[in-house]
Amino acid sequence: MAQLAFYFNTARCTGCKACMVACQDKHDLPAETRWRRVAEYSGGEWTRNNDNTFTQNVFAYYMSVACNHCERPICQEVCPAAAITKRDDGIVLIDEDKCIGCRYCEWACPYSAPQFNEDTGTMTKCTMCVDYIDEGQDPACVTACPSRALEIGELEELRAKYGDLAEVAPLPEAALTEPALVIQPSAKVKPVESGAGMLANPKEV
Amino acid sequence: MDVREWALIAFTILSQMAVGSFIVLGIVYFFVNRKWGEAEADRFSDRALLAIGPVLILGTLASLFHLGNPLNAYRAISNIGESWLSREILTNVLFIGLGAVFAFMQWRKIGSPALRTAIAAVAAIVGVVLVYSMAQVYMLRTAPAWNTLATPITFFTTTFLLGALAVGAAYVVNYAMIKRSDPDCAAAQCDILRSALRWLALAAVLLVGVHLVVQPLYVAYLSNSGTAAASEAVDILMGEYSVLFALRLALVFVGAAILGAFIYRTASTPGREMVLGNLAILAFAVVLVAEVMGRFLFYAMQTNVGL
Repeated sequence: MAQLAFYFNTARCTGCKACMVACQDKHDLPAETRWRRVAEYSGGEWTRNNDNTFTQNVFAYYMSVACNHCERPICQEVCPAAAITKRDDGIVLIDEDKCIGCRYCEWACPYSAPQFNEDTGTMTKCTMCVDYIDEGQDPACVTACPSRALEIGELEELRAKYGDLAEVAPLPEAALTEPALVIQPSAKVKPVESGAGMLANPKEV
Repeated sequence: MDVREWALIAFTILSQMAVGSFIVLGIVYFFVNRKWGEAEADRFSDRALLAIGPVLILGTLASLFHLGNPLNAYRAISNIGESWLSREILTNVLFIGLGAVFAFMQWRKIGSPALRTAIAAVAAIVGVVLVYSMAQVYMLRTAPAWNTLATPITFFTTTFLLGALAVGAAYVVNYAMIKRSDPDCAAAQCDILRSALRWLALAAVLLVGVHLVVQPLYVAYLSNSGTAAASEAVDILMGEYSVLFALRLALVFVGAAILGAFIYRTASTPGREMVLGNLAILAFAVVLVAEVMGRFLFYAMQTNVGL
């Protein structure tokens, strides 16, 4: 089967976080566990022109991020308990019965996808709503998005349709884990490690 | 920092100290055996060898406190093919096993010295692989502050520095026990103690030099490496924890270099064993505190790329 992937359109996202809340609702997650999060990346400055007028290049955009079900999942590589598996359709899942709760995947993942559940002592993360996928439905985050900024599909098809961009600030370089992610950039989007802006809501992601 | 981080600090420091002690003990034994013979060598180091056991067990037990689901701990060696954490746990278990077999045989003088030496050599190699695996665990391609040569160099320096000073302190305690129970045979042991502590002090001075060279180079490298995660780690070290970082470097210098020099000088003149013993134990205590602080800072600098 072909690798499934998320598509995200930065030009459409308004930062409403309906995706995040729909995910928490679908999976009955506590408030501090957010399998899908919306990062706000912003920056810019004022520059003085020769005629003493000022021009600004202030920008902000949102990046909705969940597990990217990477083609080279570093979480699976490092997991000492072999509790993380990748299905034929590319969905990366944590088997909580096997997880020892060492949180090594949490250190390794550059998307903060694996998150610790204090109650069970094990790691949890986005399952791409695998139960919905198996029934032929879209994940909760995709259906919840009011601006149609999120889509799900086969990685190759999404790339053919929208291009193969998978990294923009504040995400990491795609080469590290080869995320199954297709990003439609807006005009304001900055490259990885550009230093042009900063994460405006670090406590939310 | 919570219980889980302290569990990792205890585990890595104690395991590295155990590996370092085991290897240093073997090297010292080799030379003592050559000069003073097997009986004196055994008397000099057997108690120190047995003391490594509790250190290792304590470290390994501490590691369990790091787990959210310790009942599944046995699963930690399920991914030897890919995960350095699995390799770390496996080599840790192997080192405990081989070390225990060797210590028991050495204690009860089971088997020929050649056989015992062979087992000890294999255990020492497994110990080195254990420390190497420990370093690799942190050298994640997504963690630029950890993914540098400074991680293995620092881990091995800590291993041998703590090993040398722990063994030195153990020799002092062992000598005191011999002197109390059997004053007649203490003369040769006294010569051995002074000779061994002189060499260990020299080793400690050289090893602390590695720390004092590597740490500034590491900070300079991180500052210039350009990734946001590396800069963030430098900010943590030089901002929030700058006092602790300075204190850690000062303490390791005082403990290993200054006290090491005093130990070297004191050991060179006979009849000052009381002072020598106190210096050796003090040096070990100071460096242990400094190394715990260093490891605390290592974990405090945990940052990764991306989100």
